Amino acid sequence: MASNNLELISLVESKFGDKIQVQRNLLGAATITAHNGLHYDVMKALLEADEKTGVTSITGLDLGANLGVYYHIHTSKPFITIKAEVPKVNPTIKTLIDIHPGAAFHEKEVADLVGVVFEGHATPGHFVLPETWPEGVFPLRKDVKATEVKPVPTPEREANVLPENQRLVKIIIGPQHPALLEPEKFSVTVEGETVTKVDPRIGYVHRGIEKSAESRTYLQDVYLVERVCGICNPCHAYGFVGAVEKILKADIPERAQYLRVIALELNRIHSHLLTLGHAGLEIGYETIFQYFWRDREPIMDLIELTSGNRVYGSLITIGGVRRDLNSIDIPKIKEGMKNLRNQLPFYNKIYREEPTLRLRMSEVGVMSREDAIKLSVVGPVARGSNYDTDIRKDIPYEAYGEIPFKEIVYSTGDVWARMNVRLDEVEESINIIDYALDHLPSGPIKVDLPRAVIAGEAVCSLEAPRGELFYYVRSNGTDMPERVKIRTPTFANIPSFLKSAIGESIADVPSNFVSLDPCFSCTDR
Amino acid sequence: MTDTKTWARVKSPWVLHFNAGACNGCDIEIVALLTPKYDVERFGIKLEPSPRHADVLLVTGAVTHQCAERLKRVYDQMPQPKFVVAIGACACSGGVFEGNYSVIGGVDKVIPVTAYIPGCPPRPEAIIDGVVKLLNALNPPKQKTNKAEAKPEATPIVGR
Amino acid sequence: MIDFELIFRILVFPGFTFLFLLTLFCDWMERKIEARIQNRVGPMVAGPGGILQPLADFIKLLTKEDIEPRDAKKIIFKFAPLAAFAIMVFAACFIPIDGKSVLTTGAGIGGFNGDLIVILTFATIANFLLFLSGWASNNPYGSIGSARVLTQFLGYDIPLFLVALAPAFLAGSLQIATIAQIQVTTLLPFAILAPWALVLFVITMQAELEKDPFDVPHSESELVGGLETEYTGAKLAFLHLTRDIQVVFGSALVVTLFLGGPYGPVFFGPAWIWYTIWFVLKLLVVVAVTEYISTVFARLRIDQVLSGNWRILLPASILSLILTVALVTWVYNPLRGA
Repeated sequence: MASNNLELISLVESKFGDKIQVQRNLLGAATITAHNGLHYDVMKALLEADEKTGVTSITGLDLGANLGVYYHIHTSKPFITIKAEVPKVNPTIKTLIDIHPGAAFHEKEVADLVGVVFEGHATPGHFVLPETWPEGVFPLRKDVKATEVKPVPTPEREANVLPENQRLVKIIIGPQHPALLEPEKFSVTVEGETVTKVDPRIGYVHRGIEKSAESRTYLQDVYLVERVCGICNPCHAYGFVGAVEKILKADIPERAQYLRVIALELNRIHSHLLTLGHAGLEIGYETIFQYFWRDREPIMDLIELTSGNRVYGSLITIGGVRRDLNSIDIPKIKEGMKNLRNQLPFYNKIYREEPTLRLRMSEVGVMSREDAIKLSVVGPVARGSNYDTDIRKDIPYEAYGEIPFKEIVYSTGDVWARMNVRLDEVEESINIIDYALDHLPSGPIKVDLPRAVIAGEAVCSLEAPRGELFYYVRSNGTDMPERVKIRTPTFANIPSFLKSAIGESIADVPSNFVSLDPCFSCTDR
Repeated sequence: MTDTKTWARVKSPWVLHFNAGACNGCDIEIVALLTPKYDVERFGIKLEPSPRHADVLLVTGAVTHQCAERLKRVYDQMPQPKFVVAIGACACSGGVFEGNYSVIGGVDKVIPVTAYIPGCPPRPEAIIDGVVKLLNALNPPKQKTNKAEAKPEATPIVGR
Repeated sequence: MIDFELIFRILVFPGFTFLFLLTLFCDWMERKIEARIQNRVGPMVAGPGGILQPLADFIKLLTKEDIEPRDAKKIIFKFAPLAAFAIMVFAACFIPIDGKSVLTTGAGIGGFNGDLIVILTFATIANFLLFLSGWASNNPYGSIGSARVLTQFLGYDIPLFLVALAPAFLAGSLQIATIAQIQVTTLLPFAILAPWALVLFVITMQAELEKDPFDVPHSESELVGGLETEYTGAKLAFLHLTRDIQVVFGSALVVTLFLGGPYGPVFFGPAWIWYTIWFVLKLLVVVAVTEYISTVFARLRIDQVLSGNWRILLPASILSLILTVALVTWVYNPLRGA
C-alpha cells in the first residue's frame, strides 16, 4: 500500500501534540481527531507541507448528541482523515474555503443535508435538496423520516435579464436541454458571446440514496448504490463492497480480484466510448457519434456475457463476484477486444488529423496544471492537464498492483487532450483485460461473509472512468449500515468547469462541459 | 382524411427525451436507439430538441421533487396530440427509490402516461417494442369504427 | 384570356407541385445518404424504402395543435414562415427546369436579363424572413438562433454574389436561362471553364444553406431548436420546408450556372421530358455532394465561421472574379471570336 504519509503525520503530531489524537491506519494512513476549530490548523499545516493536498470529501453524520464532520484529505500519498465533532444544539464549525477553495461544494452539501453551519461560508437556499424542501429539516439526521416532511410551495423564479447591467444576458442551460442527458440548471451570464459567470443549481437528480442506504441491508445496498449511475455502476458497487470488506478485514480470493478488474475495465471502455461519441454530438459531429456507439455495442454484449445484463451487471458482490467466467466465454471476450483494438487507429487518425474537430477541440477550455491541482480535479480531466493522478497507480486495489499498464497523461490541458486521454485509456483497458484473461488464477470466486457487519468504519477509493470515486462506510454491528457517504468524480470536477468556462465563448461551453464527462446522477445521488 | 392523419402521425413520431431524475441507465439506452445497431430512424422517430416539436415524451427517472414541476411544464409546452411513455422501473413506479425523501415515485403521479416500459434499464429492443406497440394502438388494424378515434390515454400498454 | 398553360406551369409542373415533390424527395435522399454514411439505414417504414417519410412528417406537422406564445409578435410569427416559403418557390421558378423558366409559355427560354441577381436577392429576403420568425418568437434561444442566421447569411451573401458573377461573365449575360443555354451551344459546362468558381460556389452554398460544417444556427447542443424553438404545427412545417427548398434551390443554381442546366442529350420524344430528367439527375448529384460534405465534418463555431468568411472566402471570391474576367477577356472571347 502506498499510504506512506509518515512524514506528514509526524509533522502534525509534533506540531499539535496533545491537542489532537492520531490513530494510525484508520480511514486511510491515519485519522486525526481535532475538535474546537483545530481542524483548520491541521489542514493548514498539511497544505503548507504538501502542495497536492486537497479535500476529497467531507462526511457529515449524525452521532446522536453530536454531528460528526469528517474531512477526508488527499495528499501526494493519500489519505488522511481529520475528524471533528460539533454539538447538535450549536452545530457551527470553521470553514476551510479561505485556505482551500475546493472544499466549497462539500461544505455546501453537508450544510444542506446534515445541518452543519460553516462559519465564514454562507450557504443560503438549498444545494442538493429540492426547492420545495422546508428549511431546518436535515434528511441525514436520524430523526427525520421521509414520509413526515411537508413540502413548501415553489419560490419565485428569478428574472433572466440582470437589471444592473443591460449588456449581460443570462442564458439558462437546462434542466431540459438537448446538450444535457440529465437535468441540471446552469445559469450562464454572457456579455456578447463571452461567458462571465456560471451559476449551477444541482440537485435535480437527488434521490436520497445515502439516507435510504441506512434502511437496507448491506446486500440490498449493493444493488442500491449501483443505481447511483447507470454508466459507472460496477465502480459504485465496488466502492461500497470494498469499504465493507475492509471493515470485515476480509481476504478476497485472487480469481475474484481478477474478475473484478475485468468487469471494471469493460465498464471503463464502454464509458469512454460513450463519452467520445457524446462529445462528437456536442460539436455537431454526428457521424463520429454513430461510429463510436456502433463500436460500443459489442462491448455491451461482452458485459452481458460476463454478468448477465447489459447495464446493471451486478457482478461485484460482498465477498467476491457473483458469477464465474467459463472457458467458452474467454475467447469471445478476447475476440471482442481484438476487434475493438483494430478500430482504434481509425479514431486516432480522426483525432489527430480531422481539421474541423481540431478547430473545435484544441485550445478550448484550457486548464493549467496549477489550477487542476488547486481545484482537486480528478480523472481524465486532471490527466489531460499534466496532473498525473490515477488511483489504480496511486493506491493499487484488487489486482491492479500485479497488472502492468500505462498511466495516460497529456499536457495541453484542453478539450482535445482530455478526449485523447480517454481514447488512449481504451487501448490500455484492452491491454489490461487481455493480461487479466491470460493470467486468470484459479480458485473460488467468493468468500462467505457475515450478514451483520461488526461496528467499524472504512474508506474505499477507486478510479472510475470519470475519476476518483470515494466511499465511506460506517457500520454499527447490525445488518444495515450506519452511514454511507459517496463522493463522486463529477462532484469534484464541476467546480473546475465553473472556473474554466469564464472568459471563453458561449459556443465553447457545451464542448468544454462534455469534456469533463459530467454525470449528474453521480453528482446528486 | 382521418386515415391519412393517423397514418402520418404513426409514421412520424417525433420524440423528446426528458430525464426526471434518472440514473442514466435508461437514458443511455434511449440514445443508443439512434445508433446503427438499433436505428429507430427507420420508424421515422427523430429525437427533437424542443418540446414544441415533439409528439411523444419519453420520461425516465423516478421524478424527484425538483424535477416534478419542470416535467409538468415540459408536458404542457407540447402541442396536441401528445403521448407520454414512462421508460424504466423508476418512471413506472419509483423503482429502487420508491419511498425516498426527495422522490415522488412514478411519472403518472405528475402527468398522464400512455405507455409503460418496465426494466432496469429496459433493453433497447424492449423500448422499441413498447414504442411500436404504442404506435399500433394509435393505428389499429382495419376496422370500420365510428367517428370517434381510439383514446389511447385510457389503456396503458406494457412493453416487455 | 386565361393562360391555362401558364397556370399549369406555375401550379403543377414544373412549378409548385413539382418543386414540392422534388423537395420531399431530396429530403429523403439526404436522410438516406446521411444514414448510410453513419452505418445505419434511415427511414424504412413510411412507404417503400421510407420514401414517403418526408411527406408523413409534413402531414403530421399540419395536424398538430398550433401554439402561439403569448408574448410573440403576432403578425410576423404567423406569416413569416409561410412568406419565406412562398418567396423561395417564386425564386425557384426562374430556373429553367424543363428548358425554360416556369413563368414562360410558348417559345423562348424565358426570364429576363438580370434575373440572376433578382433571384439571389429573393433568397436573401427569404433568409431574412427566417431571421424575423426567430426574432418574433420572444424566446432567448429563438433570438440567439435567428441572430446567428442573420450574421451568417449576410456575411456569406457577398462572396455568393461575387462567385455567381463568374458564370455570368463567362456567358456574357445575367439571365439565368441564357447562362444555362450557352453552356450547351459551346458544349463546355462552366464547371470545366471555371472550376475554382464551382468549388467556391459549393462552399459558399454550404454556408448559405446552413449545413455542416457551417451548421451553427441549428446547433442543438447550444440553442435547443434555434430559431424554430417556439414553432409548432403548420408553421413549423413551412419552416422545415423552406429550409429544404433552399437546398433544392442552391443545388439548382449550381446545376444551372455550372453544369449546363437541364440540357443534355435528347434521345426520343419531346425535348422537355429529357431536359427535366437531366436537370433532376444533375440536381440529385449536387444534393448528394452537399450532404456528403455535411456528414463528414463537425460543426464550426460561429466566430470560426465568420472569420473564415472574411479572411478566406471573400478574398478568394474576389480573386476568382478577377481570374474569370481575365480569362474571359483574353482567352475565351478571342477563342470564340466574340
